[in-house]
Amino acid sequence: MSDRETVEFLASVPLLAGRGEADLIELARLMRRRTVPEGQYLWRQGDRARELVFIVDGVVSKLLDLSGDRTAELGRSGRRDVVGEIGLLDGQGHAMSMRVAETATVLALGRQDFAALLAGQHPSAFRLKRHLAELLTARLRSQLEHLAESLGGRPSQDPAAALAELEECKAPDSRYVRRMTTFHDFDPLALWGFLTSGHYVRCPPGRVLLAEGTPSTAFYLTINGAVEKVLVRGDRRIRVGLAGPGKAFGYESLIDGRPSPVTAITRERACLLVIPHDLFGRLFEGEDAVSRGFLDVIQKDLMTALRETLRPRARLAASV
Amino acid sequence: MYARTVCRILAYLGEPLPVHSLLFDTDNSLVRQSYSPRMMNTFLNLAGFGMKAWDPTSHRPEEPFTYRATALPSFDRNLRFISSKVASTCLVAHVRGVTYSGEAVVADTNLHPFHFGGTRLVLAHNGHLRQFARMRYALVEHVRPELARHIEGTTDSEWIYALILSQLDDPYGLPDTRELADAVAGALRILRTVRAQHGIDTSSPVNLCVSSGRAIVATRLSFDYGWYPPEDEMLETDLPFVSLWYAIGGEYAERDGSWGMTPADPPRSVIIASEPLTTDFSTWLEVPEYSMLTAELTPAGLEFETRDLDV
Repeated sequence: MSDRETVEFLASVPLLAGRGEADLIELARLMRRRTVPEGQYLWRQGDRARELVFIVDGVVSKLLDLSGDRTAELGRSGRRDVVGEIGLLDGQGHAMSMRVAETATVLALGRQDFAALLAGQHPSAFRLKRHLAELLTARLRSQLEHLAESLGGRPSQDPAAALAELEECKAPDSRYVRRMTTFHDFDPLALWGFLTSGHYVRCPPGRVLLAEGTPSTAFYLTINGAVEKVLVRGDRRIRVGLAGPGKAFGYESLIDGRPSPVTAITRERACLLVIPHDLFGRLFEGEDAVSRGFLDVIQKDLMTALRETLRPRARLAASV
Repeated sequence: MYARTVCRILAYLGEPLPVHSLLFDTDNSLVRQSYSPRMMNTFLNLAGFGMKAWDPTSHRPEEPFTYRATALPSFDRNLRFISSKVASTCLVAHVRGVTYSGEAVVADTNLHPFHFGGTRLVLAHNGHLRQFARMRYALVEHVRPELARHIEGTTDSEWIYALILSQLDDPYGLPDTRELADAVAGALRILRTVRAQHGIDTSSPVNLCVSSGRAIVATRLSFDYGWYPPEDEMLETDLPFVSLWYAIGGEYAERDGSWGMTPADPPRSVIIASEPLTTDFSTWLEVPEYSMLTAELTPAGLEFETRDLDV
């Protein structure tokens, strides 16, 4: 693969859409190309993440380790797909093993080079963060669809059913919010900007805030209490996540314009920050410190959601 | 004021297994979690260690072997020696953590697992009931008098234990797993009611392991999760839901230098722990929040179930 072909390939990768040619030439220089024979692993689940990988050709199988030396195949990735970004971003081990199913040529980008692409206030860093949010949202939808298939049937929630009435409440003490891990990296002004960008509501337990299959009208962040993200089919349900303090929900729809992939129900009484659709758009598309923090919150939340969604998948696979 | 304990718990049920393997041998063993917990890294568990281990080959096998000490388990040679000699089919062990204040009581009487004389059940608790001092004596009416007089320590956990025993038809008998699970759920319901009566509405984790030596009932639950008093010193510890994991399979064994469950269908052994016993937790499963897990040894193998806990 010549340098020219590498640049042309990178230009065709959705995650890198919108980058200029000079950028791509520089990126191509940082990447290491290798061919991995069928049956070998790019990495194993739990390994420390050192690189993310762009698949130039071939097929890679995503495997989830199960108790008792068993594995479950969760899907496959091929040309132009990117794998390995979650472990790289959250610093935890790789969430799944990647085994080459058909001999693959890949371009690998190291941890520090990837971090450099995301750093700073340059428009290309913001663009990459948005593309990452879109990529992670697509991954999350795919994992949720697999889980939903395991339940069979169609969503039980009537999309026309009334959603919970939300009672306005006062903003939380910013000293409390600052102690949440989600906001540790925010500079104080950006945090203030974020916390004042929406309004606050209170809701008792057991109320539906968002129904699977309907578009979300807002981004929600739990300040106090807990909200369950569930898939419901008849009398069967799977909890795919729990949004406790500092965790968000309702944003997938706002990112990709599709209906919500989950139903959100308050498990405890809850106090929530609500950022309506139009304000969400401004924060998501913005390029200042508040938007940067906001994109970081979404990115962290998506990674947590992806890992949480693997839990019921592992339990289901283990029970088969 | 009350002693707010966080702690780490471990329960095992299955094939006979040297206790040392669970307490010391793995790279995130229970003893290591006392000074280097991975999933609660703002807190250490230095207020003592306790365990109950059932060994079917021992004298009076229905009674568990007991070890409790306020010494740090990592420096406790007696614990190392004894644990390498006991092979257990059921174990409940606990390392205790308390907040760093002059009001915390580090004493033998506060060590888990709790086990009142003459009863068949033991209990270890990972969590704390905030504002317990306000509700403690309201629990008296729900605890049988002959059990209440056994309470020696200052912890909320010992009261939870007495409350669970009091829900059984015969607190001194061997309950079946269903009755035990119902007793645990019943006790949690009473706690919720009493908290409400006293206007207590802040986050209070109650991850419990209750065992009879033949069965284990474990919970992963928090009352009023996500609500905290202002300026709470335990906030960072409690913001995530208190963790609980399990590994299930044939037997827990070391192969090629790493520990894990061997494959088996049906399973024969299960480990339940605040956090996985190995740093590689790819084969451990997280117990869902708000759930109860039951495990029972039967002639056909291990019966195991997880269900939503709505109390």
